[in-house]
Amino acid sequence: MFAYEQQQQSSCPVKAPVEHRFSPYTDNGGTTLAIAGDDFCVIAGDTRQSEGYSINTRYAPKVYQLSNGAVLATGGMYADGVTLVKMIEQRLEWYRHAHAKEMSCGALAQMLSTILYHKRMFPYYVWNTLGGLDEEGKGAVYSYDPVGNYEKHKWNCSGSAGHLVQPFLDNQIGFSHQREKPTLTMERVVQVTKDAFTSATERDIYTGDYLEMFLVTKEGIQKTLTDLKKD
Amino acid sequence: MSVMEYNGAAVMAMKGKGCVAIAADRRFGVQLMTLSTDFKKIFQINDKTFIGLPGLATDVQTLSELFRFKTNMYKLREERDISPKTFAHMVSSALYEKRFGPYFCEPVIAGLEKDGTPFICNMDTLGCINHAKDFVVSGTASQQMYGSAEGLWEPDLEPEELFETISQAIMCAVDRDASSGWGAIVHVITPDGIITRTLKARMD
Amino acid sequence: MADRYSFSLTTFSPSGKLVQIEHALSAVAQGVTSVGIKATNGIVIATEKKTPSFLVDDTTTEKVTLICPNIGMVYSGMGPDARVLVDKARKSAQEYKQIYHEEPPTAILVKDVASVMQEFTQSGGVRPFGVSLLIAGFDETGPTLYQVDPSGSYWAWKASAIGKNMVNAKTFLEKRYNETMEIEDAVHTAILTLKEGFEGQMTESTIEIGVAQIVEEVSQEGVRSKVGRFKKLNAPEIKDYLANIA
Repeated sequence: MFAYEQQQQSSCPVKAPVEHRFSPYTDNGGTTLAIAGDDFCVIAGDTRQSEGYSINTRYAPKVYQLSNGAVLATGGMYADGVTLVKMIEQRLEWYRHAHAKEMSCGALAQMLSTILYHKRMFPYYVWNTLGGLDEEGKGAVYSYDPVGNYEKHKWNCSGSAGHLVQPFLDNQIGFSHQREKPTLTMERVVQVTKDAFTSATERDIYTGDYLEMFLVTKEGIQKTLTDLKKD
Repeated sequence: MSVMEYNGAAVMAMKGKGCVAIAADRRFGVQLMTLSTDFKKIFQINDKTFIGLPGLATDVQTLSELFRFKTNMYKLREERDISPKTFAHMVSSALYEKRFGPYFCEPVIAGLEKDGTPFICNMDTLGCINHAKDFVVSGTASQQMYGSAEGLWEPDLEPEELFETISQAIMCAVDRDASSGWGAIVHVITPDGIITRTLKARMD
Repeated sequence: MADRYSFSLTTFSPSGKLVQIEHALSAVAQGVTSVGIKATNGIVIATEKKTPSFLVDDTTTEKVTLICPNIGMVYSGMGPDARVLVDKARKSAQEYKQIYHEEPPTAILVKDVASVMQEFTQSGGVRPFGVSLLIAGFDETGPTLYQVDPSGSYWAWKASAIGKNMVNAKTFLEKRYNETMEIEDAVHTAILTLKEGFEGQMTESTIEIGVAQIVEEVSQEGVRSKVGRFKKLNAPEIKDYLANIA
């Protein structure tokens, strides 16, 4: 009886509300890159998927070959990237049904911006880089922020090592601060891409494991996988 | 915005074959406003040692004066120039002395030892030293410099090659950082002397 | 009072002397003899180890002491005073190392010890140290031998002696010293110098010898380097040297 009373006294008479929070977003890291050449385009990304200091998997591709011949590199939250690609594929199919042709790269670029902006108040947490060939067969690269702000580039790098790689690309692809500005061959672009990712892997913990590259030419798309450091 | 980003700076140092280089941008600004484009961030300690001080500009100047004082006293007392390694430990001790009210500066030190061995290091605001076999970077453009230097640096560069490498590395790095840039200065330390060049860059 | 100018050590006598310091030197002159010799590749310091009775466990007394890895010293005069200086010298060496992460050069350590000794000739409530020191060190400039006196004045020597028999010992050293001498030779000469005017039997337990020289060291990272180091000779080593004298 005594013990019961004591228990009553010590327990809180009023239930205090306990707050539980849920964050709908997470950053899965990773770096993506795209470089446009005169008649080709290289789109690449590493395949590491992380969460905090943990690695979920060493092979989770985040660069997707789309059915219209363009390639989309997604960075940021992996789940949102997958969902977004599903959405895009659906829209590409509708486009084929409606127009009996593939959507052009430029049209897809504009559509992606619209899709992203439609979720302006609850965005897809994804930094997109779209690469492909335009109507004239020239390489084209478009980069996006999560709410659909986009810009056409010759080269772009985003994701966890974006800050590291972008100045390197300015120098090696854009030839900034250099007198000679030679024409870029695909072999050279592939080499610079590999160098950029090995360098990024060296300094960024969220980048590594494998490098997946898509080489887009008018003949078609070639996919390659290269080893990166796994530490 | 953090104090370390208040004025903006980019400093890096690289090892070469029997030589070292140290480079810095020349901007002095207050947050996004640029006030001057010839601000000194690298200081010569002696014939073979330089220190780069990126960080809060007032601390940059206070520390440069402090190290001038300390190295002058060292030279008078010991009748010799301080070696880069010893100087690095002197800087480290001076920073750690202010462990609970630190100077907002992350120094970079570059020099040649008495036997000609290249020496580079950088440290945090409390004086924790980081030795590197290739290059060190510090400042608001540190991420950009890590990327560009990691991609451009290679072992055993001769003085002129080292100059070209560090110049390209710092120039393309500061072009992607709004808080630093507006020209750069490079010193290459060789056994025969110092090569100093100022670089013209984008002014935006 | 016999001498009006000896009551305060901060008062000069009319002839310009600080009498207390001269008294301190007399205390040193009563102390046991110590010698130091500079060789081409190092420094040797040695002293006689005297105990008031053979009942004293002489393994516990130490007159040649290590200050830091590259510097050692020996004293003549008052043992307790010397130990205060050893403490201060060791502390000064550690303070230097804490700032610069390297061993102090011999000259810097000597300067520090000398300024302590000078301070004790000018401060209130203290007396000068009743010791002279021989400091042996090996730094990047090479081997150096210093003598520091109670006044705080110091000189670098090629060879020197302090204590009771210093005059004879110095005369002996002037005859025996030559510039091309190596450590082995210098140890030998140091022992012979001490033997002049040595009271009683000279054995490995009645003398102490310290040597500063270059040795090869392997760091934790496995890097080999040649560095200056001071070490005391152990009893068997001294015994070997003594056997060679005969």
